[in-house]
Amino acid sequence: MSECPPSRPTTYDVLTQHGVSRRDFIKFCTVTAAALGLEPTMAGKIAHALQTKPRIPVLWLHGLECTCCSESFIRSSHPLVGDVVLNMISLDYDDTLQAAAGHQVEEIRKQIIKDYPGEYILAVEGNAPTKDGGVYCTIAGEAFTDILLETAEHAKYVVAWGSCASNGCVQAAHPNPTGAVPVKELIHDKPIVNVPGCPPIAEVMTGLLTHLLTFDRLPELDREGRPKVFYGQRIHDKCYRRSFFDAGQFVEEWDDAGARKGWCLYKMGCRGPTTYNSCSTFKWNDGVSFPIGSGHGCIGCSEANFWDNGPFYERLSAVPIPGVESTPEQVGKVLAIAAGGAAAAHAVSVAIKKAKDGKDADSKGDAGAAQA
Amino acid sequence: MAGTVTSAGAAGASTGEARYRRIYVWQRPIRLFHWVNALAITALFSTGLYIASPVLTSTGEPYDNFVMGRVRQIHFVAAFVFAIAFMWRIYWFWFGNTYARSGFPYVWRLAWWKDLFRQAFDYLRLDFGHIHLGHNALAGLSYTIFIIALGWAQMFTGFAMYSESNPGGFFDGLVGWVLPLLGGSFRTHMWHHLFAWIFATFAIVHIYIVILDGRQYRNGLISSMIMGRKFVRVDDEDESG
Ligand code: HEM
Ligand code: HEM
Ligand code: SF4
Repeated sequence: MSECPPSRPTTYDVLTQHGVSRRDFIKFCTVTAAALGLEPTMAGKIAHALQTKPRIPVLWLHGLECTCCSESFIRSSHPLVGDVVLNMISLDYDDTLQAAAGHQVEEIRKQIIKDYPGEYILAVEGNAPTKDGGVYCTIAGEAFTDILLETAEHAKYVVAWGSCASNGCVQAAHPNPTGAVPVKELIHDKPIVNVPGCPPIAEVMTGLLTHLLTFDRLPELDREGRPKVFYGQRIHDKCYRRSFFDAGQFVEEWDDAGARKGWCLYKMGCRGPTTYNSCSTFKWNDGVSFPIGSGHGCIGCSEANFWDNGPFYERLSAVPIPGVESTPEQVGKVLAIAAGGAAAAHAVSVAIKKAKDGKDADSKGDAGAAQA
Repeated sequence: MAGTVTSAGAAGASTGEARYRRIYVWQRPIRLFHWVNALAITALFSTGLYIASPVLTSTGEPYDNFVMGRVRQIHFVAAFVFAIAFMWRIYWFWFGNTYARSGFPYVWRLAWWKDLFRQAFDYLRLDFGHIHLGHNALAGLSYTIFIIALGWAQMFTGFAMYSESNPGGFFDGLVGWVLPLLGGSFRTHMWHHLFAWIFATFAIVHIYIVILDGRQYRNGLISSMIMGRKFVRVDDEDESG
């Protein structure tokens, strides 16, 4: 299969160097094709691409973040998957994972931008605080905002890892003291894939990278720039507790009989009905479980504003009007009671006036008022 | 049908020399719309509150029960009824009789503003000097805000949430963009829930006012929404229509 070897090593070259067998390699291609929702024959295409295309350089930047995306990524459930993906891309710059440090690292980043303009993938974990000239996140003395824009300029694709980069996450939650903004608000002229989640599921991350490498284009994205294949449905749509939801069987307390029977967690604040992610399909940690599987409601970590949509254990949160802390239910009851009160007060005033005016004040020929 | 006012001859009033005429005001489509709309909103509000906070718990195996599923189903059926009646009423705004357009906020007409303030102050001063055949400006404004505008808001948020169970489907294409616009599915639920209470608030005030006005004018206001005709004293014909 070695027709005209490219100047840079292919993924397959690197894998075989690392002792991955051909058999495992083909397994990986098949698993990934399935995860991407592709037809089985596509496994061959993936294998072909990995054997012929040079590895794509990836610059993985870290802004304001907690590194949970990286943690998730390096724990890709299938050890093979993790291996393959880490080797598949040429992770040239990742200040968390790489051995080099200090100015050396920054040199590498600049070199890659120079050597592979328009070819490398920019992966962003975390986001950029924009307030006060970006001083709240600096790397090697440079504001992260500047590093991000500089690196994005010649990138082929931008991958926004996690909720920070996609939606803002906790650092952008109200009142957002550092002015943190998601990547899409700073970079406008590059194709961006949002991969929300806190963190995203490892298989989602590796699946996306494999797609980029194999087909050399973005997967189909939804309105919010998320790969449809992973974010096309809500947790609720595939939740195994859904039959209890439809039946009307809900956990009311964390230790009640319903909780022991595994009933639906809707009334405990489960955000599954409003959250787009693959947790109820892929699950986590090699398919072991996911929050709902462990008896805890979904907190909606892959949704925009999820920190501001709390409290996590209440079905309703505050109405989305700045400065209002009450739920729609509380606001609504006040409105309705006020309306009822106003009507009652008016009715009483009318009655008093009628009584005062007496029978003679029949100004509008309202002769029948007395009999009513 | 084409005529604007159908006078049904003079009908003697019970007291004294006051004489009333019966005037055909609310055509059948309006009356039908009114009650379909009122029923749909009542059903939507009550099923909506159940969806938000399901209080009944069924026992036994889930495959024997479909409580939440059924309530949602009723909500969605009522939602379609509401939407169709709504569109029908908008159509009838143009093709109905003159009362079908009465009260509409013609903000560019001075007469509308005058009527609005006059009606508002009349209510506040407990004075009911002013009679209308169609909707007065205040009533028209309230329907425009609380049924038309709020109805659109409720349909946009409602159908957007409805579309979520069929990604890429018809309703997704039509109104799916509402979800990101409002900051996500969860916030869309919160808005929808808040709007539901505004309908309830409207209904309380509305029912109070029609009872009040009906008693005040003795013009058969409430029965007019059922039978279509209002009674008007011959000596104070409506001036604004
Ligand atoms: C007067 C009109 C309506 C009222 C008063 C109303 C009321 C409500 C309320 C209170 C909720 C619960 C919200 C929550 O806490 O999550 C709800 C949910 C919902 N409504 Fe409505 N609604 C109305 C019209 C509509 C329309 C026109 C549709 C269109 C299909 C619709 C579709 C929905 C959907 C899909 C849900 C969410 C159900 C779920 O999460 O399982 N509603 N509605
Ligand atoms: C027992 C309850 C009700 C009664 C007796 C009633 C009666 C009436 C009457 C007499 C009118 C004409 C008032 C006028 O000239 O301005 C009217 C109009 C209207 N009512 Fe009600 N109503 C009731 C409940 C409701 C409810 C629950 C709603 C919706 C939340 C509603 C929505 C409307 C609307 C939208 C109009 C304007 C009709 C049009 O121009 O198409 N009504 N109602
Ligand atoms: S546990 Fe959550 S996601 Fe699962 S059915 Fe209930 S509400 Fe939906």
